[in-house]
Parts: sequence; structure tokens; C-alpha cells
Amino acid sequence: MLVVISSYMASELPRPTDAELEILTVLWSRGPSTVRDVHEAVAVRKPTQYTTVLKMLQIMAEKGLVRRNEKQRAHIYEAARPREWTQRQLAGDLLQRAFNGSAKSLMMGALSARKASKEELSELRRLLEEYEKGTR
Amino acid sequence: MNLLQAWVATPGATALGWTLVHSLWEGALAALFLAAALRGMRSAPARYAASCAALVLLAAGFAFTFAREMPAPAHVAVQPTVAHRIPGPPAGLGDPSEAAPRGSLGYLPWLAPLWMAGVLAFQLRGVAAWMGARRLRGTGVCVPPGLWRARLDQLVQRARISRRVVLLESCLAEVPVVIGYLRPVILLPVGLLAGLPAAQVEALLLHELVHIRRHDYLVNLVQMFVEGLLFYHPAVWWMSAVIRAERENCCDDVVVATQGDAYGYASALAALEERRAVAGDAVLASTGGSLVKRIRRLLAQPEGPRAGLTPVFSAVLLTVTLVGAMAAYQTRPPAAAAAPQLVPVAAPAAVPQPAPAPAPAAPVQVAQVQPPVRSASPGEAPRADASQASPLGTPYRKWLNEDVAYIITDAERAAFKALPSDAEREHFIQQFWERRDPTPGTAENEFKEEHYRRIAYANEHFSPASGSLSGLPGWKTDRGRIYITFGPPDEIDSHPSGGAYQRPPAEGGGTTTTVPFEQWRYRYIQNIGTNVIIEFVDPSGTGEYRMTSDPMEKDALAGGANAMRTGATVQMVGSNGVQLSVPLDRYSDHQVSVSVRIVAAGGRVVNEFENPVQGQVAFSRFLAVAPGSYRLSVAVKDMTAGTVASDVIPLEVK
Repeated sequence: MLVVISSYMASELPRPTDAELEILTVLWSRGPSTVRDVHEAVAVRKPTQYTTVLKMLQIMAEKGLVRRNEKQRAHIYEAARPREWTQRQLAGDLLQRAFNGSAKSLMMGALSARKASKEELSELRRLLEEYEKGTR
Repeated sequence: MNLLQAWVATPGATALGWTLVHSLWEGALAALFLAAALRGMRSAPARYAASCAALVLLAAGFAFTFAREMPAPAHVAVQPTVAHRIPGPPAGLGDPSEAAPRGSLGYLPWLAPLWMAGVLAFQLRGVAAWMGARRLRGTGVCVPPGLWRARLDQLVQRARISRRVVLLESCLAEVPVVIGYLRPVILLPVGLLAGLPAAQVEALLLHELVHIRRHDYLVNLVQMFVEGLLFYHPAVWWMSAVIRAERENCCDDVVVATQGDAYGYASALAALEERRAVAGDAVLASTGGSLVKRIRRLLAQPEGPRAGLTPVFSAVLLTVTLVGAMAAYQTRPPAAAAAPQLVPVAAPAAVPQPAPAPAPAAPVQVAQVQPPVRSASPGEAPRADASQASPLGTPYRKWLNEDVAYIITDAERAAFKALPSDAEREHFIQQFWERRDPTPGTAENEFKEEHYRRIAYANEHFSPASGSLSGLPGWKTDRGRIYITFGPPDEIDSHPSGGAYQRPPAEGGGTTTTVPFEQWRYRYIQNIGTNVIIEFVDPSGTGEYRMTSDPMEKDALAGGANAMRTGATVQMVGSNGVQLSVPLDRYSDHQVSVSVRIVAAGGRVVNEFENPVQGQVAFSRFLAVAPGSYRLSVAVKDMTAGTVASDVIPLEVK
């Protein structure tokens, strides 16, 4: 129940489905792209028809998840919102959060699961600056 | 409830209860031994092995104790009488002394079901983690560009990993992570590949590959299982935390040993943390500060008091040990109480024997110079041995300041200056070249030959015409410096007479007139990145090209009084963003294109976009920027009239 409620709290934009999320990821990774670019990136991972990708992008444009630039002959699609925004929107999903939260203890990350605070970040910068001054 | 009561009355439950009580002091003892052992250990692999051994020992001790406690026939005879006296509610877990009053088993067997419930909860958490991780590797991911996939394959080979490693970009992962053991996947946050210098991305990839090579994912699974089994014991969580921290340190060490650039790697970790801070929501409390510790360690700065056991923690452990041991003594026949002590006695023997450290993937090439040289200030002749000391003679000064000026490291330079005699300098120079010899043991030193060839080439080709102001020798010019440092570029785009130049969109587009300029393209430069383009301009037309990082500088029309300015302004918004405003009223209803590029101090492009606008009074855009210094270039191109205005605004985000 909670899950359903929270998914609509984030914004007026619908939460992307898994398939849509994959296409958005391609757009965030590659920047504004043509359907062909997106299809190429998606097809490396799993065989997908060009028309499927085209159809999905059209639906996503209707939903407002992506923007279409029609200036050129080949339409260029661009993610409507930055990744950080969508990430926050997805974090509103409690189930997702519970899963990802516990998954962190399992994954081998380059950083610990706990984020650094503002003070720690400035401490990091200070350390690096001092080191740079010391050697150059 | 009856069923539970019946089960609690069984000898198994009693044995489990005793095992739990004994494990308290066993664990405390093991932790104390580990803490003592860690005080004498510096190397991360040794500390890691010791902590792992302590954890395994604890788990083994638990099993061993349980096996010993399981009913001998004599106990079974006693059980029924005890079971009848068991009243209602179970005792709290945290107070074993109360749970086992003198002379009776009391609440003790009730520890068993409580413990089992806890174990169940923790193992369910493990299953949830596993499912979450599975979901993460399949949702919101896409393959990175082919260039990076090929680069990863190279790194996988170099790290000698036989399993196939898949690299994916993920929009859900906030930091690079490894998921899976048999078919490992490395997830990179989307945008990281473009947002960090290539060498730093490689360092991060290498870190994850070292995790894979060390089977850390599997070890972590086992570790989580043990945590869930002994969840009630603070010593287990402490050991586990030490293992986690040292595991990262082990990987850090291999990365630095392989790449030889601790500072670059530390910057990459810090940049990663900053990206995450910008992306996510605020963090409230700060404790521990593991990344600060890691970076301190990487940069080898003094760490203050060694983070062993704090006195308070030691005192708590000791108390728990004593209470547990006393409870055991008072309630058990002496013979039985003495038996479990066999376990911890074995601890000191086993703990301080770390497994041999895994060797780094590749030997360090550069960092062999000893640090003490920093004490002597540069230029000053060292006083060490006055009788033999001779000042830095001309040939050696020339060697230092001309021959190897661009390739000698700061540490080496300082070390060389500190040398007291010519003999030692000769020896140093010989060592210097040998360290860089790609084929040590052969008579030829390809590195040295190539280096002197580059100097000769630079002097021949880059010496400016006699009319130039400075009259620098070729090796001292900007082009010479780049050529000697990085070698011949993969491509040179030369415009010796300037003239018409088709501007790429990032520079405003359109055509303009330029002064003579050259663009050098390097496909890859170690520690800098891929596809590096360096631009040189010759505003005086004398052949003395200057390196420039501003693509507008070659533009003969821009610069000086007749340059068109955009009038753009930048305002800080909050702590990690700026508001860019570009007035467009002068263009009325013309079709206008606004292109923006933000370049960080190190030369990497943080953000770049082009936006067509028509009939608006102003263009404004919020730009998320992590703290640091940047140069923001704005160009406004009037498509209708064909004019371009541009600005470069220095940006300091705090």
C-alpha cells in the first residue's frame, strides 16, 4: 500500500518502468541521441527491434519522460529530467529503498555505503590540497 | 506456545543457551587478541587476514562449544526437573548474568528461540540484499561505449582474471560496485565515464577488478552469514568492520602500486564522493569517516593515534569476558566449565599468522625514491658530508634543468639536488635511466634514446624564427615541452597561415578568421585521458606557438576591443549550483543558439550543451556544479545575422 502511495508523491511525472529506465539510462549516458543510437546501445545487451525502441521513445515523449528535437531530419531524443532527479523520484519507492539499502551491504563498492557529510568532504578537499602544495 | 515451551525444555535448547553465554567471553577474548595483534601490524593484507582469521575462529568456536554442550547422557537425566520450573516470559538477551542465576538453568534455554528468531531476521536481510543486488544488475543499466568495454578487457587481462567481467552503466548505482561472484558485473554510475578523467576512471575500475580477483564478493557473503549467526555480539561487528575497512585498503594499495599515482587515485575517490553528495539528499550525522581515513592513508599522512581499541571498548569487552566466565563457573561443574577454554587459548596462536600478502598486479615503476630529501630546501647544498660535498656542477645542472626537466618527478629532483658528490650524481643518473628502461638487462635503453631524439626533434622543428621576442630554443617552447613529455601526437591539424576556420558548435559554430594555430591530438595519454586535444596559437606570427586552453584565442576577430560579449552573468545558487543568465533582448526575434561549456581546473569538461532559442528576452539555466574552480564559456550565435558573441567566465564554487 505504502509503495503505491509513495510512487505518486514524487511529482506529476510518471515513474518510468524498467524498460523505460533502460532507455533513459542510454540517453543519460550518451547524451541526446537518435533512435538509431539508442537502439544500437540497447541491442548490445538484448536483441531488440528498432521499431520497438522507436515506439517506446514515442510513448515516453508523450508521457513527458523524454524531449524530442525535430529540427533535423533524424529526430533527436533527450531525457527530460536529469538522472539525479529521477534517482530521487525512484528513491521514494519504499520497497526499492529497502532492497537497495540491504543490497549495499552485499556489493563491493569503491566507497562505503554511508555517504560523507559536508565536514568530511571539506576535510577531503583540504587533505588533497595540502598534499598538492607539499609536492609541487 | 506449548510447543515452544516443550522445545525449550529439550537438551538442545539448553546446550544452545550455554553456547550463547560462552560465546560472549570467547568473542570478547578473540577480539582482545585481535586488537593486540593489529597494534603491531601495518600492512593491509596482514590486518585483513588476521581479522578474517579471528572471525572464522569465532564461528568455529561457536560450533565447537555447541558440540561440547550437546547432551551427555547425564545431563538428560537432569533436564525434566529443570523444565518444570520454567515460568513465563523469556529473559532479555543483553543480560546473561541475570538469565543464569546461581545453581539453576533458569531462563537460560529461552535464549535459544530468541537467538533463532534473530538469526532468521538477519539471514532474511541477507536474502533481501541478494535479491536487491540481482535487481540492480538488470534494471536501469546500459552498455558503455565500445571504447570502454575494450579498455576493461585489457584491464581484466592485466589483472589476470579468468572470469568474464561485464561492464555496465547504471542509473541506480551511486558509486562503482561489483555484483556477483561467478559472473561478476561492474556497475558504474551513468555519466561517470564522461565526467572523470580517463585515468581516474581506470583507477576506479582497477579497484573493482581487484575485488573480483580477491574473491571479495564470496568472502563478504560468508562474512554476512557469520554476522547473522553471531549478530548479538559486538566483537563480531567490530571484526567485520575491520575486515571491510582493510579490504578496501588492500584494493587501494594494489591500485596505487599498479598505477603509481596515489594523488590521482585519491582525487578520484574524493570526486566520486562529491558527485554522490551533489546527486543525493543531504547526510545528517557523521561518524567514523572511513573515506577520510582512506585518503589520509593513501597520501601517507600521519594519522594521529592508531585506531586500535579505545579504552572504553576494551573495558566493556573485559567486563563481558569476566561476567561470562563467572556465570559459566558458578552454574557449571568445574570440569565442564573449563572445557570451552580450549577454544580461545588457541586464538593467540592462530591470529597473528596472516596469510601471505597477495602480490600487486604490476611492479611500481617510479616511486622508488626515498622521501627524506624533503628536509633539504631546494637549491641549498646539503651539509651532510662537508669534506666530500661538491656543489651541483654545470653538466649536472644542465642534465637536471634541461635534459630531463620535463620527465623527472618532484621526488627525484629533490633527491638529486640533495646528493653530495659527483660520483653519486653519476650513479643517480644511471639509475634514473635504468628505472625507465622498458627492456632492462639489454644494452639499449629505448626510453633514453627516444627521449633524446624528442629533444633533438623539438630543437629542430619548434625553434621560432629569429624575429621572435623570446628566442627560446625549441625544447623550451610549449610545443617542445608537450612533444618531449608526451611524444609525437597521433594527429596534427596545422594552420600555419591561419585564415578561414570552420568553428565547431562548442566554440560557437560558424566561420571566422584566425591567427596561425595547431591542434595536436593524442588518442591516449596516461594519467590524463583519451582523445586529448592540445591547441597552440601563434598570435605574433613568428612561429613561437603558445599553448592555449581557450578555443576562442585563435579567433582573430575575438579578443581585443572589437570582441562581442554576451553579457552573461553567473550567480551562485545554494552550495552546488549556479544560475546562468544570458540576455538575449538585442537579438529580438532572431534564431539564436546558446552554447555553454564548463571546464574544470584540470581541463575536463564538466558540462556542455547547446540550446536553440528564439524570441526570448533572456536565456537562463540552473547548472549543478560540484565545488571547485571552473571556466565557463558561453557563446551566443545569431543564426539569422551570422554573428557570434562569446564570454569566458571564471567560476569558483565553494
